[in-house]
Amino acid sequence: MILLLAVACGLVAGMLRARLQQRPYRIAQLEAIELVVLGVVPQLVAFHIPGTAARFPEALVPPLLLISQLLLLAFVWLNRRRPGFWLLGSGVLCNLLVIALNGGWMPIAPQTVAQIALAPQQWQAGERFGLSKDRVMPAEEIRLAFLSDHLVLPWWRVAFSPGDVLLAAGVFYLLWAHGGAQEDIKEV
Amino acid sequence: MKTLFREASLFVSKVNRQHIQLFLLVLTLSLFLLGAGAPAAEGGTGGMTGG
Repeated sequence: MILLLAVACGLVAGMLRARLQQRPYRIAQLEAIELVVLGVVPQLVAFHIPGTAARFPEALVPPLLLISQLLLLAFVWLNRRRPGFWLLGSGVLCNLLVIALNGGWMPIAPQTVAQIALAPQQWQAGERFGLSKDRVMPAEEIRLAFLSDHLVLPWWRVAFSPGDVLLAAGVFYLLWAHGGAQEDIKEV
Repeated sequence: MKTLFREASLFVSKVNRQHIQLFLLVLTLSLFLLGAGAPAAEGGTGGMTGG
């Protein structure tokens, strides 16, 4: 949800920019949108739809996650000349890297869980965190821990990764750029 | 019913290509973020992860 705020803020910022500069808000068409659908629909089934997420075999989560991340990376590559996509690509890569090096799960340390869960004592190392793509792992066992879900907002029970920060920055910049001159958004 | 239909027709007539493109762009980006790093991790008694 926190990343979707970046979409809202970017859109508002872009439209405001267009209004202030007395330009229309221009929208470039993205390439290969079907890769996003192919990459995300399985994740919706595995993580977001309660009826299917609860039944989804955990053993299938790592390959599903890795394949979907690769599809999203392909989408980024095909749109790499659009503004913001290098940031988006960096974000996907960071998350993909830490997931790939930690058994196909996004690792989250017990110390981080303690900051965001209402009942942190119920989460043990080795357990999946709810129905998410996260697995609780001892901090000392997490590879590339600095890329894992360890960033926390004190006023919101959310843990996110540096990759997520890059994703938010990328989508904000993309939507903001569409409020600028045509040169800002055309292919270079 | 007739009024409702007329209002719906008026609304649809105001939706132009740019609106549809913008909707598709926002939808695509939202789905992308959902897949790349924005799951809602229900930790049983609370807690969410961003990616």
